[in-house]
Amino acid sequence: MQLQDKYRIALLSAYAIALHGFESLLPTPIPWLKLGLANIITLIALLLYGIRVAITITLIRVTLASLFTGTFLGPAFILSLGGGVTSTLSMWFVLSISPGLLSPIGLSLIGALFHNIAQLFLAYFLFIQRIEAILLISPVIIFIGTLTGTVNGVVSGILLKDLKKADKKIQNENKSE
Amino acid sequence: MNLKNLFEGTTKADRILFIVLIFLSFSGIVFMKEVLPEGKTVRIEVNGHPVYLLPVEKDRVVSVDGPEGETVIEIKNHKVRITKSPCYNKLCIHQGWIESGAIVCLPNRVVITIGNHKENPPIPPFDKGGDGGIFDIDAVTG
Repeated sequence: MQLQDKYRIALLSAYAIALHGFESLLPTPIPWLKLGLANIITLIALLLYGIRVAITITLIRVTLASLFTGTFLGPAFILSLGGGVTSTLSMWFVLSISPGLLSPIGLSLIGALFHNIAQLFLAYFLFIQRIEAILLISPVIIFIGTLTGTVNGVVSGILLKDLKKADKKIQNENKSE
Repeated sequence: MNLKNLFEGTTKADRILFIVLIFLSFSGIVFMKEVLPEGKTVRIEVNGHPVYLLPVEKDRVVSVDGPEGETVIEIKNHKVRITKSPCYNKLCIHQGWIESGAIVCLPNRVVITIGNHKENPPIPPFDKGGDGGIFDIDAVTG
């Protein structure tokens, strides 16, 4: 791991924490409805540096952001930890069995889907033991997740393109020196 | 930047995944609405005791006996009204159909409320808690 990469990982973690914290301040019509903006960072980390970096950033983000917002070890923390880890692993799984099958947008959709599935399972087993309430809300959550997942995927795609461009520029400058 | 540029790198699998997810969640929403009840119930109390807890979806006519006599309650098209009451001013009948809230008949001590009543387990359709013969209930139909 090069020093430059370490800087970038630290930077990505900081971005993820900022987005996560920002998101928890946004008022939403339904309390647990979130945009999942931090997933943009996770996806970029996964595509640029691989699963170990992506999962590290996810863990750093969930832990620190919950400390900042005062929800550490609370229900919201457990839900976002479970959702974050599951979604990162699911995106990695799809990426590693067939790289190139899905673009960042498709990967983001997979991530959003598994994030929601994990959270619904956790919510059912830990907090709301009413299966009819979970069943009623699941399709709505997955529908919203698909929409926000698409938006996040588009943003990730744009950022990835720009980052790759910037990388080439840096490499060219290094060569010419 | 136009809209096409945003979706430039998408693969066929992306689009299939998107359509499948939208389709599944949409049909899920419709399916769940059909299968699961709305959860709204009509609760009828006589003399402070819950007597009936009925789903608002099912049309039926129910009669309960209060201190003054028989009160007949009709549930139809998710609405409730009192059709017959022994009280003298018939305020409860004049209130007509209600979709939410309550009808109260003070003389006959009948209270009907529509809402998400969370009795668990649901109250049986008649009161077995031996208060004497006041709660002799019989359903007219349904």
